[in-house]
Amino acid sequence: MGTVHAKAGENITEVPDFGEKRVFNEPPETYSFKEIDLQEVKARVDRINVDGLSRTKNDIVEDCIKELFKAKDFQDVLLKAHRARVKLDELGCFKNISIFIDTSKGTQATPEGLEVTFNVKEHKRITGGVSTHVGNNEGALLVGMRAPNLFGRGGEYKWNIVMVLRKLATLTLTTSVFQAQSEWPTSGYKQLERGLLVDLGFYSTPLLKHNLQWEANIRDLNVLSRASSFDVRVQSGLSLKSALKHVLSVDLRDDLIFPSSGSLFQLTSEVAGIGGDVLQGCLSGGYMSNINNDMKISISDMYFLGGPLSIRGFQMRGVGPHSDGDALGSQAYWSAGMHLFTPLPFRPGKGGFGELFRTHFFFNAGNIGNFQLAKDNDLLETLKANMRLSYGLGVALRLGNMARLEVNYCFPHSFDKGDQTHPGIQFGIGVQFL
Amino acid sequence: MPLIDKISVELGAQEPWPKDVKLYQPYEVEQILLPDNANCLAVQAFLKMCHLDFQVEPRPNAEAMSPTLKVPFIKAGRFVTAELEGIVQFVNGKGISLTDKLDNEQKADMRAYMSLIHSVIEVAELYICWVDKETYNEVTSIRNGSIYPWPLNYIQNFAKRNQVIKKLKALEWYNKSIEEVFQEVENCCEALSIRLDGKNYFFEDNPTELDALVFGHLFTILTTPLPKSDLANIVRQHPQLINLVQRIEKEYFKKETRH
Repeated sequence: MGTVHAKAGENITEVPDFGEKRVFNEPPETYSFKEIDLQEVKARVDRINVDGLSRTKNDIVEDCIKELFKAKDFQDVLLKAHRARVKLDELGCFKNISIFIDTSKGTQATPEGLEVTFNVKEHKRITGGVSTHVGNNEGALLVGMRAPNLFGRGGEYKWNIVMVLRKLATLTLTTSVFQAQSEWPTSGYKQLERGLLVDLGFYSTPLLKHNLQWEANIRDLNVLSRASSFDVRVQSGLSLKSALKHVLSVDLRDDLIFPSSGSLFQLTSEVAGIGGDVLQGCLSGGYMSNINNDMKISISDMYFLGGPLSIRGFQMRGVGPHSDGDALGSQAYWSAGMHLFTPLPFRPGKGGFGELFRTHFFFNAGNIGNFQLAKDNDLLETLKANMRLSYGLGVALRLGNMARLEVNYCFPHSFDKGDQTHPGIQFGIGVQFL
Repeated sequence: MPLIDKISVELGAQEPWPKDVKLYQPYEVEQILLPDNANCLAVQAFLKMCHLDFQVEPRPNAEAMSPTLKVPFIKAGRFVTAELEGIVQFVNGKGISLTDKLDNEQKADMRAYMSLIHSVIEVAELYICWVDKETYNEVTSIRNGSIYPWPLNYIQNFAKRNQVIKKLKALEWYNKSIEEVFQEVENCCEALSIRLDGKNYFFEDNPTELDALVFGHLFTILTTPLPKSDLANIVRQHPQLINLVQRIEKEYFKKETRH
């Protein structure tokens, strides 16, 4: 922690966002400021006010902020206030939290006394909205509704469990009703999905995030044109999908799009952190099988591989079985990717606009098929047979804090007869990447 | 796209009738409804009259698979063609026709009668299935919903019923009483009976697609058990039509069972 310059006599410090640690390097010629070592300034928190509570129960807020009373000096006050703010934020009850620190006044004030005020703004009981959702090379309109902080306890009614797991556990319930129309020219079909998704997210330990999801979905599949393959046509019509999903994730990354350190374990994992360049590896896989013969797996459920966001150097869904040029998908796949990210050559726009860009070198591998998990043949051999490889280089751009845009030059290295390759320049935009 | 479709039909026409032609239709026992069954049977009769080989392939989602979203449809090689008129055209393109010997006036006549059947008997069948409460509750809703899991069957019945009612409203049939509907069918049967005039088929001794269409609808009406049997009773009052139906059945459908 560096020293912070404060104007003499000024005693109100607003900490709007203390998350970024700033070090001021003042040139020594400036004499208008007097240096104060905050650790030397004794302080005692006399009072803590929390403004803006209406539904949230006092006890969970008290738990978050009581540490602040133990602060001994001003630096400690600042750090602890920040920590309290983070805790309050993690409750998921508030959409806005700001902190004011003032000297305490009144009859009970001590000479070094401070008064800390948290201004919070609670979430509405139910929040809803219409948003546009951008997926991998597809868009969807999303109408959503959320009921955060349902019972005034950070959305958590199993309070006993939370006590054990520290206060970090929060429960968020998200319900969304969606209708999505997607067209897959590479598979020769279009699909209208109408459905309901209920998502229950909670942390079992501070880093282990669980998402329990239930999705009911009516899918209306239609062929795109008369020219679509009959194998796709056979699967047209309505189907109902009701799925229960459990997503377990540990996200230690410092940034969602261009991580420089940390890792995410979900189905993909990213390992990073070598100097200024980042080496990123991903591995993902999937397997499905019929639970019983009454349940059908249709083309909407299949796994597809290939495209600018999965195995680069192939057409979208270009890996795997095709019928009359339409991708049919398979019941199992694996894919792996290795990226070497570096800043742009010669660092144009360093520290600003240029930070949105990265050059990257990549190497993708994967395989898709209806692998039979039989005992007599080696699984590894099955997975390795017909493995597809591609490599290349390109420029990636971060869009917001959400999506990534890539322009790559790809070299498909090994592929199967039925595959549709896409050597040369390939353009991709999406949220999830290999 | 339509241009490409046309070209592909033209190209397809040059090939001979393939061996693995399949006729896709809904399941006859559990699923199919009166109007769909009539149309499927009409196409089967037509193909048999042309002595063309085909296999019936029942599929629960046949309707969704069809390029016009109506059953039946055939798959010949790479080409997919739906409904009687489309299939007749497709078959004619291969140089096979039942109407070679007819003059233009007769052809126009035939088309007029076919459109009469589509606009009266077929619509009346839709009315009985979807508007008549008793038939809808006891037959239509159960059969139409049979291929979907709960709750999709309710949603789908509701959607399909609305769709049919919309069509009937546009044709100004929805507000008719059931007696008026039966009267329309009666008039239509009368007209057909007069046109038949004691001949074996509508146009002398050889069947045409009109015969196939009449057979499809009347045979289905006669053999489908419904809570209201009025439609079948109306058809039974016309012995000429009954004879035609029996003749076609014997000629083209009974042979198959003897094999």
